[in-house]
Amino acid sequence: MDVSTSAPHVAGSVDWPSDWLRATLGFLCLRALSAGPSYGYAIISDLESHGFGTIKGGTLYPLLTRYETAGLVTTEWRAGDGGPGRKYFALTETGRTELTRLSADWLRFTDATTRYLDRPTMEGPA
Amino acid sequence: MIQQTSDKKWFDQLVMELRLRQVHGSAIGDTVASAKELLRDTGQPAEEAFGPARDYAEALELPSAPKHDWIRTALWPATLGLLAFLLFNQAVVPWTRSELLLVSPAQLAFLATPVVLIAFLPLYLDAIIRRIWACVGLSGIGALSGLLSAVAAPENPADAWLAIEPLPWLIASALVMVAFSIRNTIQAARTTGHDDITDPSAATAGGTGTGMKVFVQVTNWLFPILALAMLGLTLALR
Repeated sequence: MDVSTSAPHVAGSVDWPSDWLRATLGFLCLRALSAGPSYGYAIISDLESHGFGTIKGGTLYPLLTRYETAGLVTTEWRAGDGGPGRKYFALTETGRTELTRLSADWLRFTDATTRYLDRPTMEGPA
Repeated sequence: MIQQTSDKKWFDQLVMELRLRQVHGSAIGDTVASAKELLRDTGQPAEEAFGPARDYAEALELPSAPKHDWIRTALWPATLGLLAFLLFNQAVVPWTRSELLLVSPAQLAFLATPVVLIAFLPLYLDAIIRRIWACVGLSGIGALSGLLSAVAAPENPADAWLAIEPLPWLIASALVMVAFSIRNTIQAARTTGHDDITDPSAATAGGTGTGMKVFVQVTNWLFPILALAMLGLTLALR
């Protein structure tokens, strides 16, 4: 994954309630890795360009460390071009399965939420 | 320049916090290198990108060695070494003067103070590492108790609680100090570089320098070296 190939910026969508981001950041990060191994700044840039705001390193790295412990991602240091190397994160098969499961669950949840929000409003007691 | 200084302080705190959590050196090196990588990319100060070093270290939940492993491997040998060194110091002067080793209860209490302070270190180690004044205060108490033990030493056998031959204590304490130094030297040789903080982003791995190896060996033999110096000083002043 490369920062320059990320999707266009979605304007006006960076102030999501922190609870929403906390709940979804895990599988969003897994999704960011689904195209291939990536590194911290590229993941942050990818999420930012898709309208999720700027995720801080203090939020991202602990999450990825937990995922590494859980066997959802693996890490590898790759040599940099004349400079220090980069730490790449890659999805494992378990991580890919977890992403599929969480994505399906999330779609069901948002679908149920949307249907609930769109139902006709009752005008006072019957 | 200011950012570099504050970032250096932040990284120093991060390493200290991870060490306090008994995180392995290679995992600390990995954490530091990945944090520096992101700061290079974003240009942010460390505190802004990662929050307080203590909170970040806690949030990472890195695997750590058993909490009290260092007590068995480092603290107890150091405490017993110190106890032997203090006993040696008490016995060396009367031995060079061919006198009895005289001991009073107050003197024993003062001598026991630094040993007790070190033995209970696990209860307050975090606090004294994070607060320099607490570290200075405890060092002061240890030094003061050493001085007071000399003041409380009985002048003649009538004032003494115990009057014993100094030579067996001198030999026993010297043997204990040498035994612990040999043990520490062997242990250090077996584990050299085992828990070093290594930078995984660097092209070549840095080894433990000669200076550091010498420092470790001097530390391992600190009590016998100090005891020899004490013996030499006492013989010179006799």
